[in-house]
Amino acid sequence: MTSPIGIEGGGTSVIADGEPPPNAKGEDEQLIGRSPGRLMWIRFKRDRTGVISAYVVIFFFLIGLLAPVISWLYGKNPYTVYADERPELFDSAGVPVQPNGGISGEFWFGLEPGNGYDVFTKLLYGIRTSLGIAVAVTLATVLTGIVLGVTAGYLGGRTDYWISRVIDFLLAFPAQLFFIASMPVVVSLFVSPRDETPVYVRVVALILVMWFLGWMSLGRILRGTTLALREREFIEAAKVSGAPPGRIIRKEILPNVVTPILVQSTYMLPNFVTAEAGLSFLGVGIVEPTPDWGQMFSKASTELVMQNDITYMFFPGVSMIIFVVAFNLLGDSVRDAFDPKTAR
Amino acid sequence: MTEDLVLPAPREAATDAPGEPLLEVAGLVKHFPVKGGFPIRRTVGQVQAVDGIDLTVHVGESFGLVGESGCGKSTTGRLITKLLEPTGGRIAYRGKDITHATRRQLAPIRSEIQMIFQDPYSSLNPRQTVGKIISGPMEINRIEPEGGREKRVRELLEIVGLNPEHYNRFPHEFSGGQRQRIGVARALSLDPKLIVADEPVSALDVSIQAQVVNLLQKVQQELGIAFLFIAHDLAVVRHFVVRHFSQRVAVMYLGKVIEVGDRDSIYTRPRHPYTHALLSAVPEVNVGAEDDEEVPQRERIRLAGDVPSPISPPSGCRFRTRCWKAEDKCAAEEPPLIQLSGNHAGHLTACHFPEEPTIEARDEDIVLDPALAALEEDADD
Repeated sequence: MTSPIGIEGGGTSVIADGEPPPNAKGEDEQLIGRSPGRLMWIRFKRDRTGVISAYVVIFFFLIGLLAPVISWLYGKNPYTVYADERPELFDSAGVPVQPNGGISGEFWFGLEPGNGYDVFTKLLYGIRTSLGIAVAVTLATVLTGIVLGVTAGYLGGRTDYWISRVIDFLLAFPAQLFFIASMPVVVSLFVSPRDETPVYVRVVALILVMWFLGWMSLGRILRGTTLALREREFIEAAKVSGAPPGRIIRKEILPNVVTPILVQSTYMLPNFVTAEAGLSFLGVGIVEPTPDWGQMFSKASTELVMQNDITYMFFPGVSMIIFVVAFNLLGDSVRDAFDPKTAR
Repeated sequence: MTEDLVLPAPREAATDAPGEPLLEVAGLVKHFPVKGGFPIRRTVGQVQAVDGIDLTVHVGESFGLVGESGCGKSTTGRLITKLLEPTGGRIAYRGKDITHATRRQLAPIRSEIQMIFQDPYSSLNPRQTVGKIISGPMEINRIEPEGGREKRVRELLEIVGLNPEHYNRFPHEFSGGQRQRIGVARALSLDPKLIVADEPVSALDVSIQAQVVNLLQKVQQELGIAFLFIAHDLAVVRHFVVRHFSQRVAVMYLGKVIEVGDRDSIYTRPRHPYTHALLSAVPEVNVGAEDDEEVPQRERIRLAGDVPSPISPPSGCRFRTRCWKAEDKCAAEEPPLIQLSGNHAGHLTACHFPEEPTIEARDEDIVLDPALAALEEDADD
């Protein structure tokens, strides 16, 4: 009887009986397998839309990060009130005298009607504030989603029941209305209404409010994924080896839920950017003089600006559209790269 | 067999005399509650997946557990490996009661009972390399083999017939048979004394099945590991449980062991009607039979209907609803699992009206399926 066990040659799924195929030394490097993450990266790099969107998104994050450096090189800051410093640039109503909102070699994106802030630096710092808040909210929601979602899915039973009911309850909230209504309440938890509210309190309040109603969708997805993973046999294999629950969650479950986490957070982040802009637009978010993306829209929609200087809306509006579209396209590409079987 | 594979020396061979009981299972029961009702959900029934079975697996023995889908074979395997908590009964490993042991209490013997899973596509973590998958159990149990874990993993890969260079590969780069070999290597990584193989080949191609069964057999014989081999395919079990000093097979039906005995008794001298029916359903190819002996015509039994629901199993003998010999006694009284007169020692059968110990053709085929019977009558006319 010949040996029933063939040594299986590298790279093929054909079972060769007898001699293993000769392996040249040079081939050894190829025997290192490509991880699912690596395969995803290779697929992603092939997707031109995704790569361009990624560059655009990175560009925006760089702008946000380097805002102080850029404005230092540019020689201005977003807090200088040019209506006082350089009154000759404005007419009696406070509108820039020069056409197109005062765009010139000195003020690249023009000047803000009214106070006369420099629009370029204001936009840079606005992007910085908005992205900073959105990233913080995304991190907080992802963490909460992982902790509660994976716990509910892995433990199941009563824990799962109660976490799911909390998720249902919070999902039933009208989010926008809740944001608007609760912002002043949350702010007043930190400072008395009579005092002036420091900027960081508003930022923290914004993050808290958006986090509170933002984590449920990811939590629910992770619960479902974990529930499905829990029944897989490799989890049972880990249990048979005596692995403690902490190790099973860390080593077996978490690496397998990276996909939904990444995909979901690339969808969530632009949503938080627009939500934050919306709140600032409505006047419950960041207020003057702190620069903020949404608050620039709010300024642009005042009667003075609407009637005299429509150019002011242009730069924040266009930059936000580019950012949100690019980020959503990036999210699509990430999803496609992770899940090549779903055709669009 | 000419194989110069690196096999580790058997550990503590002195304490393990073959024939000593390794695993003893007595009256094992597992009921799954069925919840229902609104608005308050309560238990409305019990799925009696495993309802009082007794098994003993000896050191180095290969023990086959067969039965059709849903009879509780896999549940039994999962109870023994403590993936499920038994509802009742007793499981003892080397005389130590582990029925309700916690994870910590189990820790010392965890490495001695390992499992091989059914679905090779689900039993390997897609995010880990083969090396990590196989060394994981050693890491958990803090085992540092001589020469390091990586060396040991490469050895194991060689034992199961894979290329040691596959160490850094990921599961998705392997075929089903290769994945199952990785699963075997993982089970072997802790030098177990007992491996529960839960339908290890049913998800594989028929051509690969034989290779994996041969691998398991080789592992079993050369490393002296006791196997509890669960399968629904009698032919696979017969193939596995062979050429060995101890070779027993238990037949399960609806959560009970209805017949148990050594391989030859079960396959050639079965007594329980259900075992007869099962054996008659095994397809046999006689074209160019390799054995010199004349192949006798086999009996032919065709059952009707399905296995009854394990939520409300029949009273008395559970097989009576599909049995051609059932009488009033079968409904009233549950037959005990005993050694019938004329049986070999250790051949136990649970039946009030056992069949003759032969599988040769009867005067008349037993065809209980009315549709099939009608068809055959038409053909005869």
